[in-house]
Amino acid sequence: MAMNYLDLARLAAAEILLVVTALVVLSVDLGLRQCDDLARRTRWAVALGVAGCVSAVVILWELVPEGAMPAGMFASDALTRGVKAGVLLLTAGSLLLSRGIRFTPHVGEYVATVILGAVGMLLIVSSENVLILFLALELASLCLYILTGFDKRSAQGTEAALKYFLFGGMAGAVLLFGLSLVYGATGAIEFGKIAQGVAESGVSPVLLMGLVMVMVGLGFKVASAPFHFWAPDAYQAAPTPAAGFIAAGSKVASFFILAKLAESAFGPAMGSSAWGRFAPGWSPVLATMAAMSMVWGNLAALMQTNVKRLLAYSAVAHAGYTLVAIAAGGPEGLSAVTFYAVTYAITTLGAFGVVGLVESATGGAELDHFAGLVKRSPRLAVCLGIFVLSLAGIPPLAGFFGKFYLFLVALDGSVGSLGLLWLVALGAATTCVSFYYYLVLLKKVFVEDAVMPERAAPGTGVESAVVWASTILVVLLGCFPGWILTPLRSALMAVGW
Amino acid sequence: MHAIATHIWLIPLLPLLAAGVVALLPKRASTAAIGLATGSMGLALVLSLAAFLATLGGHADGAAHATHIGNFDWFRLGTGSVRLGFLLDPLGAVMLVMVSFVGLLIFIFSIGYMAHDPNRTRFFCFLALFASAMLGVVVANSLLLLFACWEVMGVASYLLIGFWYHKPSAAVAAKKAFLVTRIGDIGLFLGMLWMYHATGTLLFFDDGRGCLEADALTQLGGTAVRGGLTAATGIALLLLVGAIGKSGQVPLHVWLPDAMEGPTPVSALIHAATMVAAGVFLVARVFPLMTGGVDTPVGEGTSVALQAVAGVGALTAVFAACLAVAQQDIKRILAYSTVSQLGYMFLGLGTGGVAVGMFHLITHAFFKALLFLGAGSVIHGCHEQQDIRWMGGLRRLMPVTYATYAVGMMALAGVPLFFSGFWSKDEILHAAWSWAPSRWPFVLGVVGAFLTAFYMTRQMAEVFFGQYRGGVRPHVGHGIPEATHGGTAGGVHESPGVMTVPLVLLAGSTLVLGWLGTPAWPWFEAYLNGHSAHLDFGRLAAAWPMMLVSVVVVALGIGTGWWVYGRRSRVGATAPDPLESQFPRIFRGLQARLYVDELYDATVVRLHHVVSMVCGWMDELVLGGLVTLVGLGSRLAAFSARSLDELLVNLGFDAGCASTRWGGRGFSWLQNGSAQRYLGGLGLGLATLAILVLWGWRHG
Repeated sequence: MAMNYLDLARLAAAEILLVVTALVVLSVDLGLRQCDDLARRTRWAVALGVAGCVSAVVILWELVPEGAMPAGMFASDALTRGVKAGVLLLTAGSLLLSRGIRFTPHVGEYVATVILGAVGMLLIVSSENVLILFLALELASLCLYILTGFDKRSAQGTEAALKYFLFGGMAGAVLLFGLSLVYGATGAIEFGKIAQGVAESGVSPVLLMGLVMVMVGLGFKVASAPFHFWAPDAYQAAPTPAAGFIAAGSKVASFFILAKLAESAFGPAMGSSAWGRFAPGWSPVLATMAAMSMVWGNLAALMQTNVKRLLAYSAVAHAGYTLVAIAAGGPEGLSAVTFYAVTYAITTLGAFGVVGLVESATGGAELDHFAGLVKRSPRLAVCLGIFVLSLAGIPPLAGFFGKFYLFLVALDGSVGSLGLLWLVALGAATTCVSFYYYLVLLKKVFVEDAVMPERAAPGTGVESAVVWASTILVVLLGCFPGWILTPLRSALMAVGW
Repeated sequence: MHAIATHIWLIPLLPLLAAGVVALLPKRASTAAIGLATGSMGLALVLSLAAFLATLGGHADGAAHATHIGNFDWFRLGTGSVRLGFLLDPLGAVMLVMVSFVGLLIFIFSIGYMAHDPNRTRFFCFLALFASAMLGVVVANSLLLLFACWEVMGVASYLLIGFWYHKPSAAVAAKKAFLVTRIGDIGLFLGMLWMYHATGTLLFFDDGRGCLEADALTQLGGTAVRGGLTAATGIALLLLVGAIGKSGQVPLHVWLPDAMEGPTPVSALIHAATMVAAGVFLVARVFPLMTGGVDTPVGEGTSVALQAVAGVGALTAVFAACLAVAQQDIKRILAYSTVSQLGYMFLGLGTGGVAVGMFHLITHAFFKALLFLGAGSVIHGCHEQQDIRWMGGLRRLMPVTYATYAVGMMALAGVPLFFSGFWSKDEILHAAWSWAPSRWPFVLGVVGAFLTAFYMTRQMAEVFFGQYRGGVRPHVGHGIPEATHGGTAGGVHESPGVMTVPLVLLAGSTLVLGWLGTPAWPWFEAYLNGHSAHLDFGRLAAAWPMMLVSVVVVALGIGTGWWVYGRRSRVGATAPDPLESQFPRIFRGLQARLYVDELYDATVVRLHHVVSMVCGWMDELVLGGLVTLVGLGSRLAAFSARSLDELLVNLGFDAGCASTRWGGRGFSWLQNGSAQRYLGGLGLGLATLAILVLWGWRHG
């Protein structure tokens, strides 16, 4: 399929718009620098960034055609469009949460980095070629490293960023090595051609080794155990809005591409992780990672006293639940993963919003800083309660339905006959464990008395609005999952899964 | 024959496995680490000996080339595949025995030497890694595999030189060695790429399709590039650059003397006997290519590449020998002597062919190992003193060391008949004499031989004769004491048996080895060429004029040395060197290594500095200019009215400084320790998953 530059520009219009937005934010911020009013500069930068994200969503629907570049370099269809819209809205949410940032005078750079990270994530979603996928992953990751260390006054942040970077570099190297092994085994870098190659040549040790390495590289992105070591440090030390961005937007893109890659590129090498019918392939790899994540994440979370760190370990655990569905495979798996990743991202973003507000009011995010929150700001406490209950999987919130759907797919997947029952049972058991630390947090918020002195919180209207919006979404999506599922299914059908 | 030839890959694999296992051992498990590393090396030696015997057997059936190859697909890409392989031939076999024998000695010596170092587990891991890489270079039947091992060897050497990384000079020396040899490696890499481009294979031997076999050589020799050079010459010259880097030849010799910062006997042995010989070995390995792809008898139509080899070698032989004359550090003298002797090997390769160069390589490995161990023993006895001005009179105090050192010195100087160095050097001079293109290499070689005899006599006289001058200054701080030895208080003492026994062993081999390559019975050459040797004294008669010349030269050298240094021994440690008082300028110039390092600082390093400054300036100018433009544009829509100056300064400079400052502070706060564990976790997870899946594949 021949393609001219105009077509390419239309296909990638949303990404182009975002890049332009990032540059505009930078230059406007340069101009505004002279007035030395940090709050005003932040307002402008955030407003421009959010405007860019929202217009990108509009463009996605109005302007971008369906189609693909040759060799799977860039694909646009109903499915990617939906996921991209989700990523963009989450990015906009993170930006709005950043409105009160005081940790850096470089607001323009901060916002631009967030937007460029979002561009990386959009490219991840659009890629059907491992080369582009790798580049996009690196673009997104680099932005996230920078964001983690953006508060240069915080030694902890710099340390976490460096660790994140080191770990990410190594994971990237492993991923690239794996991709090159896959190329060696199949001679292809396009998802579809790889699948053909795998189907023709069968499962060989080289391919398996490549598969394992690819899964490890992506396992780092989704913070699955045992490749999650960076996450607690990064979540805790990164500026809270940035941590929200890392936890929400990047997770959606990474989970989506992991599921898509496994299904569309490595479909024939799925293997089986069913109990007693183990066959090598990506499914057992992911199942192992899922089991480790659920156990490790939930147990480690029990010991945490910092809420951001707790959320990090909870993220590891949720990565485990999500991987269960990917391991089950099939289009239902992709649908469940996408639904879960999106709802989880909304919940986490809201939770980080609350954490950020509490942090700016009390100066920290230890559990003790949350004590007696219900007396100080009851509305915030209710929101946090809903987020935490959703994370714990209590009906009728979105987290419940998502987890239910995941486990349903795992039991009813193409593997059939309850093969993955062991994983689901493990998931259910660890979910019970997770109640403990979620309830500890809730107890702090609703039962105990405040122990930390409180300061006057700065203007927090926009942040509260984001938190409220997330809360409402979490409740509504729990009650009416069809709002996401129906378009998701039809998109899947349209793509031909 | 067959069994060992097909399993030749076991030889490098064993130390590699040992290194891998040792790397995983905790620090306190040093006994296990030492056992594993030394055991693997012992096994490698046994296998090497078996391989050597197997190639000996090959002669009996009259095979012209007792070469055994085993190639395999590394991986396939579409229809093509990249192949690697191993080979066993006499050249490799003799290197295998030398490397594993000397290597084993290093290991054993290190057990005693590093006994008190808290990091010896790590040390033995590096040693095993080094040995594995060196053995890999020897058995590789593919330029790619050779290059890979070559690089690993570079890394291991870097790790060993910088083993005491808390000592700044060691860290700097390690970095220098790594960077300088890397320059050579670029040449090797380019040569490899060109080779692959031109012939489509990197295997040396592949049943007629390898790149060192007739078809490819004819093709390479027939491909003209620019200036009348053939592709074969171009590739050969590039490979030579790699060899020059590794073997410390002029102009890339600057790293080798600095490499003496490593743990004394160990790193010195690596950088004297084994690793630096890899460059010589490489030239010998690709010798068919060096001859320009034309299978001519040596000495006739000499190729450009071989002329370059001979030229570089001859130049280095004299240049380094000059520098050795003026050094005061016992190890540095030996280091320059090594550079000079490597030059001789190149000269031998260039003028006389593989056998001549390789024979000197082997004999040199043994007597240089002897000298370095002797120097280690001396340093040990003199309480870590390395400056020969502070020694003297050790002849009576350390009799065994003295006797064995004298054997090594005479071998190096080329004292006739009983010392191996005489025979190997004589062959080189002989080959240089009958070399058609030019007599200059021969002249340089003779001058070098004179200088060698001279500086070794100087060293002997300063260290072992006269009066002991070290009592005045008790302990010269070299930063870190090399190891904690309990010496006798105040006095110099002979080293313990664990150190002297290897000396005696090496001295014995130094005496014996020379007989393997005399003109009357050129066994070594015959062995390498794959036919059997015959005793013929007639050849001795033909060679005697040359032998006479070298005897005279050596006698002159030793005589002059004795006349200058031995006649009246040095009065005190601070007295000037006799040469220094006669020719102060020349001596100081030599002492300062003829300012080569300074020259590099002033040219290459300065140039690099200037380029980076220009880049930085451009960056500031262009980027700063852009910033100014954008700032101007936004000013229209903006609010305040500050001057352009302030804008520039604020945006460009201050912001940069501030970020750097914050970044720096952050980095200084970075707590080390857990990041490694994180990465370890990643590796462990990867390995577990891989094992799980591959295990499933085996049993599925």
